[in-house]
Amino acid sequence: MTNISPLNFVHTTGKFGDYDGKQENDLLKVKELNGLLIFQIAKYKDSNFDLSKIKIDGLNLPSSLKSSSNLNTRILWLGPDNWLVFSSILDLIVKEKKQFDELNFAITNISHSRTIIELEGNLVNEVLKKGCPLDVNTFKEGDCANSVYNGITITIDFISNKPNKVRILGLRSFGESLYHSITDACLEFGYKAI
Amino acid sequence: MLYIKCPYCGHRSQKEFAYGGDGTIKRPELNQEISDAKWNEFVYLRKSPRGKHIELWHHIAGCRQWFKVQRDTVTHEIFQTSKTNEELK
Repeated sequence: MTNISPLNFVHTTGKFGDYDGKQENDLLKVKELNGLLIFQIAKYKDSNFDLSKIKIDGLNLPSSLKSSSNLNTRILWLGPDNWLVFSSILDLIVKEKKQFDELNFAITNISHSRTIIELEGNLVNEVLKKGCPLDVNTFKEGDCANSVYNGITITIDFISNKPNKVRILGLRSFGESLYHSITDACLEFGYKAI
Repeated sequence: MLYIKCPYCGHRSQKEFAYGGDGTIKRPELNQEISDAKWNEFVYLRKSPRGKHIELWHHIAGCRQWFKVQRDTVTHEIFQTSKTNEELK
């Protein structure tokens, strides 16, 4: 079976919007991330399992509104006892599954059902503010938050402050709408799709 | 636009929440005989108070948790919020 990325038919590389006369570093960069393993970990409400024992690719499960990461893997807090893992190690779920017994956890592979858009540049926060009600200036590197962007439910992973970089995760079925919303907000500043 | 404090995520815009109705309604005990009138009251009948009201909200575009909110139905002022297993003071 052929894997088609969620933005295969909408994401085209090039420069768009008000990019004329601006230096490359001043432009926003928009990129689609695909081909990652994405899975959700949910701990059952009546479980007393000690979470400090769990390590995924060497990472602990993060606390509220935080993420933990290394070069290959990022773990985001989605809600109480609920985490989202995305990784470039495609067999990570097989390697780590033995830590999660069925009495305490539900592990769901959702690699097929998410769109990930990466935004980078000095004006990332301005783009987020156009469609998202979060007070984005209060979020720092290593934070994450669920919210909405023009009515579309998203998860924002704040990757770094210098350079300012975020990943926006949405449902695959909303991928095109989300992409159009975000790139439309980027037009004013000029962006480079890579 | 309301600015609601989710007990798990902190202050967030109303856009992220869904209203869940009266937060004081208790479901009848399981495996008990219950009259049609009582069942009707539980399912359909709600007060419409003017002033402080305890209600349920769902952080549907956030942590997906239900929680309780004490809100003034006239001014929309929110006095306090709590997890569903905690009592509002």
